[in-house]
Amino acid sequence: MKFRKSVAGVAAAALALVVTGCAGGSGGDASGPVEIEYWSFTGIDATAKAEEFEAANPEFKVKITEVGSSAETAQAVTAAIASGKVPDLVLIQDDDLPKLIANPGNFIDLNTLGAEDIAGDYYDWTWESATAEDGAQLGVPTDTGGLAYAYRTDLFAAAGLPTDPAEVAALWPTWEDFLAVGEQYTEATGKPFIDSAANSVFRATSNQVTEQYYDEDGEVVYDSNPQIRDAYDLALDAASSGISAKLGAFSEGWSAGIANGAFAVMVAPSWMLGVIKSNAPDGAGQWNITTIPGVGGNWGGSHLLIPKGAEHPEAAWEFIKANQSPEAQLQLFLDHGNFPAATAAVDSPELADQVDPYFSDSQTGRVLGQSVAALKPFPIGPETGAIGGEFTNALNRVDIEGTTDAEDSWDDAVSSIKNSIGD
Amino acid sequence: MSITIERPARPDRAFRPASTRRARMRARWEGTSPYVYIAPFFVIFAIFGLLPLLYNFVISLFDWNPIGEQTFIGFDNFTRLFADPRFWNATVNTLGIFVLSTVPQLLLALGLAHLLNHARLKAANFFRMSMLVPYITSVAATTIVFAQLFDRDYGMLNWLLSFIGIDPIAWVDDRFGSWVVVSTMVAWRWFGYNTLLYLAALQAIPRDMYEAAEVDGAGAWHQFRFLTIPSLRPVIIFTVITSTIGGLQIFTEPLLLNPAAPLTCGSSRQCQTLVLFLYEQGFGQYAFGYGAAIGVVLFLIIVVIAGFNFLISTRVRGGRS
Repeated sequence: MKFRKSVAGVAAAALALVVTGCAGGSGGDASGPVEIEYWSFTGIDATAKAEEFEAANPEFKVKITEVGSSAETAQAVTAAIASGKVPDLVLIQDDDLPKLIANPGNFIDLNTLGAEDIAGDYYDWTWESATAEDGAQLGVPTDTGGLAYAYRTDLFAAAGLPTDPAEVAALWPTWEDFLAVGEQYTEATGKPFIDSAANSVFRATSNQVTEQYYDEDGEVVYDSNPQIRDAYDLALDAASSGISAKLGAFSEGWSAGIANGAFAVMVAPSWMLGVIKSNAPDGAGQWNITTIPGVGGNWGGSHLLIPKGAEHPEAAWEFIKANQSPEAQLQLFLDHGNFPAATAAVDSPELADQVDPYFSDSQTGRVLGQSVAALKPFPIGPETGAIGGEFTNALNRVDIEGTTDAEDSWDDAVSSIKNSIGD
Repeated sequence: MSITIERPARPDRAFRPASTRRARMRARWEGTSPYVYIAPFFVIFAIFGLLPLLYNFVISLFDWNPIGEQTFIGFDNFTRLFADPRFWNATVNTLGIFVLSTVPQLLLALGLAHLLNHARLKAANFFRMSMLVPYITSVAATTIVFAQLFDRDYGMLNWLLSFIGIDPIAWVDDRFGSWVVVSTMVAWRWFGYNTLLYLAALQAIPRDMYEAAEVDGAGAWHQFRFLTIPSLRPVIIFTVITSTIGGLQIFTEPLLLNPAAPLTCGSSRQCQTLVLFLYEQGFGQYAFGYGAAIGVVLFLIIVVIAGFNFLISTRVRGGRS
């Protein structure tokens, strides 16, 4: 019958379309530039750097996708690995890194591409945070955070405190001194000193320990580690002493508070400087930075990884070498403030001499460099991010939300963590 | 005596005329063609809807790391889930937000539809179109704006409340406050859609019924209660069921509301709904098996509650033949 024949014809055509559509994929032709697929997060100007690489190396083309926040990028990478179709290159922030490193089979061992040749260019502790248990090198560090405090010079002056960075650092050689200065400030002005205890105290103290949530053997020790207990208790003191503005980091009120002077001091790893500038564009000259009590510490940083199953791993490796060389990392710092992970860049005179007009012509590179140089590394494990997150939440429950009392807070934190990661 | 009855000669099988064969084929096609036309939907549903659902049941029986190992653990995920205070917290949040976002919204939609149905309403089309604008607005943009409106220190709502002497309320930090914020966003998004559904049904009610009722002396409220609502019953049932299914799966608004703690919607998980808890376990903790178990339990909850709603709505039919 004519009708049935035409139905068969249409069905065959539709099937053919579907099959060719499914075949898909980039394919990669023999001639023409090799296309590297790169997934990055937003806010770090990755596109401009990719274009520079393309201009210098016309045989490569970089197809960059800015997925979203660092957490969203890690989630997208996980979904890609689970589905089997992965990009050539991914940028992973250090909070998300341990869980991925715990499953090393999903990434290419960069030693097979020549990573040993450049290992010496970077700080040991950040290089090793991307080394799997079996010794495979899974990532190359792109930047670090360091730790510093950003403070409002005008609010300090109004409260009778010094404003020069060296003098301010001399006010708080220990953490108890820092809390004392805070209470003094709040008494004098009636206004909060820090944004929140979790963000501006615990984040710093918990990153200054020699052993954090895991010990050298990879055992979980967060609940028995006295250094962590002390750091937590100190943050509880800060929360209870009335110096906190009770603004959670990155919330709406916090972003507005940076611009409105709702607090005088906040923790400032290198990437936070950019956050301050974008939240308070008219605040140039009102801020300065100085070291934290104990000086050493690091919060943040990222790594570039090549997933297993990537189509063009060698091309991706060329991009990594060019994009993360000490010179390139130094240039990124001078342009954007991302603190380098390459030792040569950190030790360079350009970095030490760099001044930031927004931060009252302060030598931000020198201050952050001091924190990175004084850093004492500690072992990390797959649940480091989750444990830190639960501690932060527990502190916020006392400080910001007021749903838990300070006396019950440690037990509350430990039971939340046990619930979250198992015993 | 023998009587011979002669049977008429049976026509030869091969002697059937072509027109009968065509007619029979056409009849068979008409019998099967409806199934052919609806088959594409069911095929696609089977591949993209049913299969993932069944696979989800399977995953819930495993300890499933999406980029690592997968081990079979039977019902351990479920035993752990029912002992997990975070699960009960999420269930309470989900039910609370569902009730807060659905009940006032549907009542409002009903009232608005009644107003819009007025014969002499000017610029009726303008109102109808503008009510759909929230429905097509991006969820992310909505959440950012509402988070700012409800902000503790700088939000417009607290600023307005300060004029009548109320201290700043920490909407997003407080449990019930965060429910109010999420419910307001959801209600704002969906009320226009539901209003238009009710409006369409209202316009199908013949006017002479109202005129007859007025002649009989029924006031506006009586007309509404005994004429309008019974006529709207099928649409009300529909909106209640779709609102139930949607309201128990609210995810995007809680996810974007609290940037300080996105996956838990606040440090105390004050507005973490079941789907957000599922997402946190699946993509935050890489525990796909546990997340799948949450999905299975949520599926059962929705089936039970939607069924319950359906029974109630149809049972209160009484009086109409």
